[in-house]
Amino acid sequence: MTAATAPRVARPKRPSRSFVGLLAFLVFAVITWWAASEEYGLNFDIPELLTNLTRGADILAEFWPPDFSVVSRTIAPLLETVQIAVIASLIGCSLALPIAFLASRVTAPNLVAYILDRSILSVVRALPDVLYAIIFVAALSIGPLPGILALILFNIAVVAKLLSETVDGVDQGPIEAARATGANRLLTVRWAVLPQVLPNYVAYSLYAFELNIRASAVLGIVGAGGIGNLINEFRRFFQYDALMVVVIEILVLVIIVEWISIWLRRRLV
Amino acid sequence: MIRFENASVTYPGGVHALKNLTLEIPDGQMMVIVGLSGAGKSTLIRAINGLVPLTGGDLTIDGVSVPGAKPKQLREIRSRIGMIFQTFNLVNRTTVLNNVLMGRLHDAGTMRSLLAWYKPADIEIAMRALERVGIVEKAYVRASNLSGGQQQRVGIARALAQEPKIILADEPVASLDPPTSHVVMRDLQRINRELNMTTIINLHFLDLAKVYGERIIGMRAGELVYDGTGDKADENVFRDIYGRSLTADDLMGEAAAAG
Amino acid sequence: MTRTPVSRPSKPSQRTKHIATALVVLVVVWATLTVDVRIERLPDLPADLVRIFGRLFLEPGPEWSYFPTAFEYMMESIQIAWLGTIIGAILSLPLAFFGAKNITSGLVSNIIRQLLNAIRAIPEILVAVVIFIPMVGLGAYPGMLAIGVHSVGTLGKLSAEVIEGINPGPVEAARATGGRPLQIQRWGVLPQVLPEIVAFWLYRFEINIRASAILGAVGAGGIGEALVQSLLYRRYDRAGMVIIVVIVVTILIDTASGWLRRRIIEGAPGATATEDRSFAVARADTDFG
Repeated sequence: MTAATAPRVARPKRPSRSFVGLLAFLVFAVITWWAASEEYGLNFDIPELLTNLTRGADILAEFWPPDFSVVSRTIAPLLETVQIAVIASLIGCSLALPIAFLASRVTAPNLVAYILDRSILSVVRALPDVLYAIIFVAALSIGPLPGILALILFNIAVVAKLLSETVDGVDQGPIEAARATGANRLLTVRWAVLPQVLPNYVAYSLYAFELNIRASAVLGIVGAGGIGNLINEFRRFFQYDALMVVVIEILVLVIIVEWISIWLRRRLV
Repeated sequence: MIRFENASVTYPGGVHALKNLTLEIPDGQMMVIVGLSGAGKSTLIRAINGLVPLTGGDLTIDGVSVPGAKPKQLREIRSRIGMIFQTFNLVNRTTVLNNVLMGRLHDAGTMRSLLAWYKPADIEIAMRALERVGIVEKAYVRASNLSGGQQQRVGIARALAQEPKIILADEPVASLDPPTSHVVMRDLQRINRELNMTTIINLHFLDLAKVYGERIIGMRAGELVYDGTGDKADENVFRDIYGRSLTADDLMGEAAAAG
Repeated sequence: MTRTPVSRPSKPSQRTKHIATALVVLVVVWATLTVDVRIERLPDLPADLVRIFGRLFLEPGPEWSYFPTAFEYMMESIQIAWLGTIIGAILSLPLAFFGAKNITSGLVSNIIRQLLNAIRAIPEILVAVVIFIPMVGLGAYPGMLAIGVHSVGTLGKLSAEVIEGINPGPVEAARATGGRPLQIQRWGVLPQVLPEIVAFWLYRFEINIRASAILGAVGAGGIGEALVQSLLYRRYDRAGMVIIVVIVVTILIDTASGWLRRRIIEGAPGATATEDRSFAVARADTDFG
């Protein structure tokens, strides 16, 4: 080395292994052991699982070919599925709008309403759609109504949460301008906030509709209307080839709704 | 010795990035390539380590053909060529040392490199590379916490850690301010002289090229239009290369050269 | 200097927008008119709902002595969700690499992505009810497998998108050092994508908790079964307890997981705003793009 090189700087010591990383790994390992153990957990036994799977594999053969003769029986339930999804989306997304505004710091009228609203939203979000459906079926009767109610709650939970986060991030400029003209809170929300979040609101609502279609397809399994009822029936009589038809129909329905949703999103906004 | 023989590169879209290039680069030379964007500088440099394959002609390094090399052979060739990038291309989320150790990937075992459990000998090489560019004290600092100039020096250290015979630098100072650019160019010059390493550098600024380049190559539309020393690169030469007169954008600035 | 008068622009045509809106209205009207709900019963609805709410929580109040059992059931749901998510995560990672356009050729990545889409499209409960329960019987296994398989779909798609979004620079640098393909993935790709992918795993776990709660209702183990049983025998106080347990535990896990996710992402340069992220992640469950 020539004299032009810099004087030798001491090499730094290697820092001790990340404590956080080790802790995280330990926590993960403990939880996994707990979940899989025989005493506390599910007794997760891979060889046993594999034997079960291979034994059950011949059941899969019964699914094919699909029994398309049942298609005529599936039309009405499928339409009911769509009806449930449409109505629940309409009511749910409409209600979600004011609830979302209450759930955002930016637009909530006071702290109490804000906290109350957010807390209720957290609670409502914690129950999945099918559990709501089970409760409403028990409370009312089987049929599409409990399904609609369950999905309305589910819708509100999803859309209000997403929308409130959007409102939180809104540009304050127009709000300031509106206040400066002397507008009250309601008008400010209507003209300064709503236009900014409208595209998102439409996107979230369409997304909620997609979720609803998928959910309402299975709600019938617990009695809340739609094609799920048929699933139970076919299941009970081990008519797997008929079941396959239903699965295919649901798949097709979901994909079609997806395309419609993309098309709508481009056109509506 | 690097030799291009009628080398051509035509990209799938039809762009002729390199047209029948014939060029010899002796060992230990510090060569600078200048030219407009799209003139072929990037392609030329990337052809040397095979990142861009030739579509015609041949390129040999010490007699070994690069286009003809099989994957394993190509990796061997690449391991002996260090490359420095305009945008540094460091792994931001990990330490400086781990970045430099990427230069040891070819020689380290697969298991060791996957687990970042390198042999002490490899770590020693990496540390020495960091010392050579003068930032060994940052060895355990996260790469993204460094300044642009420091990050580029990590890039140089990574190349040095390969213990290469050739160093390729694709616009190494384009993202840096003038004073830092000179520091980096001086580092490269020093490495070229002390370690007798063939150094090939793409540069955007002609004045920088003249200061540091032992030999200057001018590229235009995929063809070699100038090959000589810096002092002979005058206005006329410049017009050949750039197709227009010198403007302020083509020079880094004289005030900075003193820095 | 005179100014030539500019004519006022006419309002831009909104024809497609109107057509789309009209179609939507049409569908809504059709649905409302033809659904099988007895209109005359609707006014009773609020009263019915209040009554059920009272039966569940207010009088005589939730059955607190049932808490230990309900808690045990809930733990089973968590275990099912945990193992199911792990299965999904492990299987989805290699599939994500193969499904990324910038790692594998267009054809291969396309096939893998379509496969992932197909898996994603089927709701877990369907996978469990239709495939795994017939195959392995009732209990925790079909639930875990259904969740695992469905998760492979979403996690695979999300992870593949993250991988496709990386900065190609470090990958090029790794190639230039002569590294082997596995080394290039490990050092060029993985450090860029790991935090975000792990955050997806955590988010998926949160969703899977809900899924496993549902699956219990069809016999795949967990607290869903407790809810169905208690409602079946009209033990509303017990059902109320079950609901409380589900809500409380879910909220706790959501909070912990959400905190952890934010911590992991914070270390990532270039993280997008929270809102964009949560919607983008949520969308992936339904997006077939």
